[in-house]
Amino acid sequence: MNVSGLNFILVGVLGLLGVGLYGLMVTRNLIKVVVALQILVKAALLGLILAGNLSGAVNLSQSLAITVIVADTIVAVIGLSLAVQIRRHLGTLDVKALSHLRG
Amino acid sequence: MAAWLVLLTIGIPWLGGLCVWWLGDQRAGLQHRVASAFAVLGAGVSLGLLRFTSPDVILRIPLGSAFGDFTFVADGLGVYLAIIATVVGGLAVIFSNDYMQGENQLGRYYALTLLFIGAMAGLVLSDSLLLTFLFWEITAFCSYALISFHNDDPKAVAGGIKALIITQIGGIGLLFGAIISYVYLGNYQIHLFLQGVDALPPVVLAWAAFGFLIAAAAKSAQVPFHTWLPDAMEAPTPISALIHAATMVNAGVYLLARFFPAFEAVPGWRLAVMLVGLVSALLAAVMAIFAGDLKRVLAYSTISQLGYMVYALGTGAVFASQFHLLSHSLFKALLFLCAGAVIHAVGTRDMFEMGALRKQMPFVYAVFVIGALALAGLPLSNGFFSKELILEYGLAHGPFWAYAGMLAGVGITGLYSLRMLWLVFYAPAHSAKQVHDAPAAMRLSLSLLALGTLTTWLLLGPFSAVLAESLPYHALHAESTLAGLGQVLSAWPTWLALAVVLVGMATWFLRDRLAGLAEPLQSVLAFIQDGFGFEWVNRQGVRLTNGVASGLQATQTGLLGWNVAYIVGGLILLLSLILWGS
Repeated sequence: MNVSGLNFILVGVLGLLGVGLYGLMVTRNLIKVVVALQILVKAALLGLILAGNLSGAVNLSQSLAITVIVADTIVAVIGLSLAVQIRRHLGTLDVKALSHLRG
Repeated sequence: MAAWLVLLTIGIPWLGGLCVWWLGDQRAGLQHRVASAFAVLGAGVSLGLLRFTSPDVILRIPLGSAFGDFTFVADGLGVYLAIIATVVGGLAVIFSNDYMQGENQLGRYYALTLLFIGAMAGLVLSDSLLLTFLFWEITAFCSYALISFHNDDPKAVAGGIKALIITQIGGIGLLFGAIISYVYLGNYQIHLFLQGVDALPPVVLAWAAFGFLIAAAAKSAQVPFHTWLPDAMEAPTPISALIHAATMVNAGVYLLARFFPAFEAVPGWRLAVMLVGLVSALLAAVMAIFAGDLKRVLAYSTISQLGYMVYALGTGAVFASQFHLLSHSLFKALLFLCAGAVIHAVGTRDMFEMGALRKQMPFVYAVFVIGALALAGLPLSNGFFSKELILEYGLAHGPFWAYAGMLAGVGITGLYSLRMLWLVFYAPAHSAKQVHDAPAAMRLSLSLLALGTLTTWLLLGPFSAVLAESLPYHALHAESTLAGLGQVLSAWPTWLALAVVLVGMATWFLRDRLAGLAEPLQSVLAFIQDGFGFEWVNRQGVRLTNGVASGLQATQTGLLGWNVAYIVGGLILLLSLILWGS
């Protein structure tokens, strides 16, 4: 891979990371939190693949990537189902409102 | 063989602790006996170590990576202290058979006590600083948990927490030393540290030296960290005797003695050590005169006597300080256990509510007198010889003002020893309550300790020989018992010190006539009883911490957005630090 390609991917990783973190910081909607988390994990995935390419351990990085995808899907599914249940029981998806519930 | 003995010395008490725990509190009688059996067995095994003293590593457990090797060395210093820990520990456990009769949760009590005994033996036998640190923390934990043993008593809980927090300062100092050793020498081995000390930059060595001094002061309850020890007296009395008089508080002195060859050349270090010892010895002795609680008097006297050992190390008298440590462990454990027997019988710790117990508790009275003799440093007791050794060495090798201060301390010690003895056993009785003398298990422990107090000065020769043989970096020389005793008895400072003790005691008898002189002291009395203002410093520290904590509480929003923002902020900070460093 040439240098400009590497830079291109690095910018992608950092961009996705920034978007994900920014989303986590500003959003209060539980579904958007899950979406931001997904973007964050995609940044990590991309970084993983890039690292595999650079170090030559392509197989390792790809199998790790698959594992991350699986784990990440589970996170998404559970997060969304939680969101649905919370909405159903409490009538809100606002994280700040939820935090008032701590006892 | 020696390796097995080391492992057994640590392992038998620990195993005993587990067994007592497993037995369950329903079988209290069995718990008493099992705990005593294991403690006595541990003591017997540790005595076997005497045959194997050597400066070499006898057991190496390689852990690899940043943990290094966990090594054990059974040299004279370590073995003697391990024997003190297990033997006094065994006697304290036997004493507990009577003292803790009918208490609830004996499993917890004995398990922690036995855990402590094993950890204390490990602490002094370990040659790896990291392992020493681990054992050090276990002893601190046991001390905390046993001070707070009566955990429905707010004073006991507060005393435990206070002891834990203050001794943690010492733990940090020790960990700091271990890290320095690892960074500069690549291992944690104490003997390699002493060997390769010249490879350390002087600044780093000075940091380590003063770090260890702080560690020792916190653990050995020296000024300005002494405030935890009097409050630790809420612990059951056998625990006070074992942990807060005979063993754990010696760990600081042990640490200084162990590293003395490495630090003696650090500019100002020996003077600092001397000052810490001197100030502790004097302040605590003055506080002991005014305390009304029997156990607190003993706690102050412990701080004061530890001050003597620290002072001795400052003057370079490694042997004298360790010899006094040996004497002190025995006679102070004896005094504490006597106090325990008295408190058990009378039901109060206030000396002003005791009195005239001489007739009712003749046995305890007799052994208490022996302990008090040793504490005051009067002849025939081990305290006499070890204290005179310290004073003589201090006069010959230390500054005169420090010697004069310590001599004054000897007088004050005589005064408060006599005051304590008089208030408990001679003063007019305050209640007509009939009390009984100590029961059998108590008598056994007390008489063995009294025997030790009267005879361990005979060990001067063998003790110095073992230390000289097995401590290659300390430049000690062996001395025969007779020569040492002759030297003590023929030197004039000995007789001067004796005269000062007698003057101190005379002060007590003349107290009514001297009352006029004490008039101006009344104004500072409250100040003295508040621990010379150190309690105030403590309270300010607690207030500051609480204030900062409640101020920082606002940052704990529990909101996801803020938490992520903190993480990102921390990440940026870390990255910029790394970039800035490279």
